[in-house]
Amino acid sequence: MALFLQALITGLLMGGVYASYSSGFSLIFGVMNIVNIFHGELIMVGAFTTYWLFSLYNVDPFLTLPASIVSAGLLGYLVQRALINRVVEAPPMISYLCTFGVHLILANLALLLWSADFRTVTTSYSGAGFAVGPLTIPIARLVTFVIALATTFGLYLFLEKARYGKAIRAASQDKEIARLLGIDIKKVYALTFALGAAITGLAGGLLSTYYVIYPQMGLPYTIIAFCVVVLGGMGYIPGALIGGLLLGVIQSLTATYLNSGLSVAITFILLFIFLVLNPQGIVGKGIVE
Amino acid sequence: MKYVKVLLWMAVLLGLLVPDLSVAQTAKFRIGCALPLTGVFGKEGNLVKDAYTFWAEAVNARGGITVAGKKYAAEMVFFDDKSDKAESAKLVERMATLEKLDLILGGFGTDSVFAASAISEKYKYPMISGGASSNKLFERGFKYYFSTLGKATEEVRGCVEITNSLNPKPKTAAIIGSDILFTALAAEGYRTYLKKLNIEEVYFELFPLSLEDYNSLLFKIKQKNPDVLLVGSHLKVALSVMKALKEVDFMPKMVAFSYGPTVPDFIKSLGKDAEYVVAAAEWAPNLPYKDSVFGTARELNDNYFKKFGRYPDYVEVASIGGALVQQWSIEKLGIAPPLKEAGRVKLMEELHQGDWMTVYGRIQFGADGANVDHPPVAVQVQDGKLVTVFPKEVVEKPVLYPAKAWRERK
Repeated sequence: MALFLQALITGLLMGGVYASYSSGFSLIFGVMNIVNIFHGELIMVGAFTTYWLFSLYNVDPFLTLPASIVSAGLLGYLVQRALINRVVEAPPMISYLCTFGVHLILANLALLLWSADFRTVTTSYSGAGFAVGPLTIPIARLVTFVIALATTFGLYLFLEKARYGKAIRAASQDKEIARLLGIDIKKVYALTFALGAAITGLAGGLLSTYYVIYPQMGLPYTIIAFCVVVLGGMGYIPGALIGGLLLGVIQSLTATYLNSGLSVAITFILLFIFLVLNPQGIVGKGIVE
Repeated sequence: MKYVKVLLWMAVLLGLLVPDLSVAQTAKFRIGCALPLTGVFGKEGNLVKDAYTFWAEAVNARGGITVAGKKYAAEMVFFDDKSDKAESAKLVERMATLEKLDLILGGFGTDSVFAASAISEKYKYPMISGGASSNKLFERGFKYYFSTLGKATEEVRGCVEITNSLNPKPKTAAIIGSDILFTALAAEGYRTYLKKLNIEEVYFELFPLSLEDYNSLLFKIKQKNPDVLLVGSHLKVALSVMKALKEVDFMPKMVAFSYGPTVPDFIKSLGKDAEYVVAAAEWAPNLPYKDSVFGTARELNDNYFKKFGRYPDYVEVASIGGALVQQWSIEKLGIAPPLKEAGRVKLMEELHQGDWMTVYGRIQFGADGANVDHPPVAVQVQDGKLVTVFPKEVVEKPVLYPAKAWRERK
């Protein structure tokens, strides 16, 4: 029983990590209909921002998070303004190619700047956790989980209640009508991209405290984010949390009771099943075109 | 006037000869190598690149490779295989056909070298590798592939046999490893030696290299509570396992890795969390090895530090050893560049016959190309440094056992 509970908690915490870096992906897809292939590079930028501030200036990783948010958010904003705004209304293949190109450029630029070295952020409290009976709960993961919940909830509230959030939703639902209402679509898109990128940078900063980071880490994260968002429903913000938690728990139980190889394979089996049988995601609110 | 014309013709002829003379003067050995300079093995690939660069600079500082009294510079030509075995094979094909390089040295990682060496065998290029040691490399009947490292299953022997010196002797062990050629065979090697020492294997699992989160796997092992955890690993896996062990709050009495902790980044990244970790190695600076080019093992270690600001990993010294015996074989055979197929065949035959003592240790290739007599070493992280703890003849400090639990560490 203890093993099952531990597997469940590990899965939920892992799901929190997945959700933390997938909600930005979902937001960008939901508003602009863009599958952002350089999403993983935004995580990498957030992670490296934390790493460099920690290793060069000894800044506590949690205090570096605002810098991770700003660096990834700014990068997202600039790429959107300079490139993606020009192709956002073109057929989807053009935006895939564009974001794929940015992925290659960013990954290789990071490689040139920082070399292929594997890096970790190891503080005096790295790996620290607390025990609840026979169960162990790592603190950094718990913090990520809480932040993932807060981000999803905050983003949901922002889109539902805030004036600018309503403008984003209007732009995503019918951009022509939104234009007629005086909304600057391109500005909305750029700020949406910046917001999605900033959330992703935050997740990158957080996960650098317990994962190994390196310049070419991005693509596997993009793939996982895609799976999470498909499970939860493409473009449906709470879906990233639901999909992340679902995937985390399934992977953890599979790794615990079967083996780790299957836990990786099951991600893609689920992706396949959902894309074919239930493309609107587990709660049926995803965008399907 | 007649003399002027003759002089002019002579000048023209001399002019035509000058380029030929310059070619003769600048003739050199162009040596190719496909390495993972980026991707999952990017760090390790760059280490091997440094090693070959170090060898080439040492040789060129002495004027170059001496063939029949003439000196020829050694020029390394590196290609990035992006940690992709298919790319590695393509690059070797390019080196052999398009670039027409004189020699090809082995890269890093069994999977890539496995694919690349099949191509070098086809084009009759001897390939000595210091960065790949899977047993399967030597089971193909190849004549042109050589490795200075011991076989993967043998390389981890020290990590298990060291338990003989521990008190109390561990009774149980868990084995995990990434499911690629080298690490899977390292895991098999652990298994073989555990059986010999009657240590009970309580868990065995191979996982995909793409696994990012190790917590579930290590929680499962924590439940089994083995005395020893043996990991078939490369650097990234070793780092990830250590991070996860701390997160799941589990430290077995001993944890050992097949590869990773000897890469300087391991200690640099983990700091105090790297303490007590045991790792397989094939070389250490306190071993009594030396040669005429690099001096003693300790001198090589110090000179490497002067050049790169870090000490060499054993894979780097194994790579230097390979480049060195290739150089000595060419010098003995007296083959000048450009090397043709006949020269490469002779080189292959010489490599099979030779027996050298190098700064890396003894190198003697068996019929299958494996280094037949290179004893494994085990090292442990103690006070932020790697110290040799196996075999007993070269022990620097006794192994620290049992490892302190995470909560007991300051």
